[in-house]
Amino acid sequence: MNAPMESFEQRWTSSPEGFRVPYEVFTDRAYYDKEQEKIFRGETWSFVGLEAELPNKGDFKATAIGDTPVIVTRDQVGQIRVFKNRCAHRGALLVREPRGNVKSFDCVYHQWSFDLTGALRGVPMRRGVRGQGGMPPEFDMANFGLDALRVESLNGVIFASFSSTVEPLLDYLGEEVVDTIQRIFNRPIRIMGDQRQYVHGNWKLYAENTRDPYHGSLLHLFHNTFGLYRATQAGVSHMDASKRHSILKVVATATPASESENKEVYKDVRSYNTDFHLQDPSILAGRKEFDDGSTLIINAIFPNLLLQQIANTLAVRQSVTYAPDAFEIVWTLFGYADDDEEMQMIRMKQSNLIGPAGLISMEDGEAVEIVQEAVVRDGKKTSLLAMGGGRAENVEHMITEAPIIGFWENYCRYLGITQVRVA
Amino acid sequence: MSQAVTAAHASAIEALHTAYLAALDKGDMAAWAATFASNEASYFCISAENDRRGLPLALMYDDCRGRIDDRVSFVTKVWAGTYQPYRTRHFIQQLSMNVAGANQYRATSGFMIMMTPEGGATTILTSGEYRDLIDIQGEGDQCRAVFRERRTVYDADVLPRYIVFPF
Ligand code: FES
Ligand SMILES: [Fe+2]
Repeated sequence: MNAPMESFEQRWTSSPEGFRVPYEVFTDRAYYDKEQEKIFRGETWSFVGLEAELPNKGDFKATAIGDTPVIVTRDQVGQIRVFKNRCAHRGALLVREPRGNVKSFDCVYHQWSFDLTGALRGVPMRRGVRGQGGMPPEFDMANFGLDALRVESLNGVIFASFSSTVEPLLDYLGEEVVDTIQRIFNRPIRIMGDQRQYVHGNWKLYAENTRDPYHGSLLHLFHNTFGLYRATQAGVSHMDASKRHSILKVVATATPASESENKEVYKDVRSYNTDFHLQDPSILAGRKEFDDGSTLIINAIFPNLLLQQIANTLAVRQSVTYAPDAFEIVWTLFGYADDDEEMQMIRMKQSNLIGPAGLISMEDGEAVEIVQEAVVRDGKKTSLLAMGGGRAENVEHMITEAPIIGFWENYCRYLGITQVRVA
Repeated sequence: MSQAVTAAHASAIEALHTAYLAALDKGDMAAWAATFASNEASYFCISAENDRRGLPLALMYDDCRGRIDDRVSFVTKVWAGTYQPYRTRHFIQQLSMNVAGANQYRATSGFMIMMTPEGGATTILTSGEYRDLIDIQGEGDQCRAVFRERRTVYDADVLPRYIVFPF
């Protein structure tokens, strides 16, 4: 049984050495349930899809916010709408296919029919059959529409919220995240496809991983070996003003690190191996497509989205939660509608970099799972976030864990966890 | 395409399938790469979902022989030590075979992959379909079959874990 929510009272204590996170947050069902209520169904905006996935009226996709199933659709006047994927009669899953095109949403159980705005339009045998049965006279179809969520889009990126009081999307995202979204979604996109991966770990381990510039060149040998990202490169680790979201960016620099400096930084490190050569280096032969020259942007948007540009791979990664020790990553890769053939080919080659078997992303799945396996007991023991000083501060480098602390400070705020810092 | 498959070609193709499965079940990436034509070959591994939707995105997109060789290095060198080792058992069943040209065949097979992580229980990784373009090299009893192209379309809508080895 889940602990009743009233009894959820937590106190996290950090030390001068750094920010401490108790391991039980990754394993305890009480935290998981509280997150669904206070984060995914609370005062947040969750990513649910891209408008390019729903080009036509009646197009829909089924997805989830946290673990609540939702439908995203484009109605008859072209407006994007998001509903709970649950029939208003007796609660059946309304849409079972991952995507499709419909004129109305018809529940398979008793054939109640809802239009694309979520209004109930049809109830079979409503007036009975041969004078028998039928709904009571008090029954009003207007009271039995689908549960609608708030919806806002930014440059074709669709967010939804269960909250009627959350701030408008642009305020929620903050200026730098809005800029990042507008930079990547600067013109019509073309969807290249999805990848889906089940991860045997807690979703927050992935929220940490995607806010963690420290691991970038250490876990991922491919990054380091081929210079996609090294800690000796100039970069920034920023957060929005609320510190919920993070923007990790490698910036173009006039003075690249020398071979000897790289050797010094990565001496004894397994992941620096310059002896390795590609038979087909065209995987790295990308094209410059942004004026700022930045080749790597990892933008984690609280609570369930990651927006990325790695060389010429553009993608969103959505986290869908299942349980304290299980979540799914849905990757959607895209290019631009006006990509020429060569550009499409570049993106296809580089798509090998990411996804469940991605050359610089396979290891993130493993990193999440080996933490989950090891923290299954000792819930009051803590992890340490200290690299870069142990505070959630914006820095102009990438040798830091600061954005992860920003995530946890917000997590504590949402869940009502008291944070104590002992001197 | 009413041309018959010669007995020698049929047994060469069977030997090719066996070599492919044996290579992956042993975790022998070099032997896996050796089942592809040495000059010009490609390997694509794509979800049934993307395939159905007509979308190009692949789990693995090895569009040239060089990248097939690079995948061997990725698994054996770049990723060495980062993934939890797992063993696989591949099972296949041929579904169709048609002559595509001189010494060339198009074949499809259903496959199933069982997976055992080190220290774990055996589960199904995924099932799917191999769509192959196969070249026959050499003559008569000396002939040998190689993949010019193997397109692996896997069934799992959600992969049950991260993936290291090709399917
Ligand atoms: S549960 Fe949907 S119509 Fe009855
Ligand atoms: Fe990573």
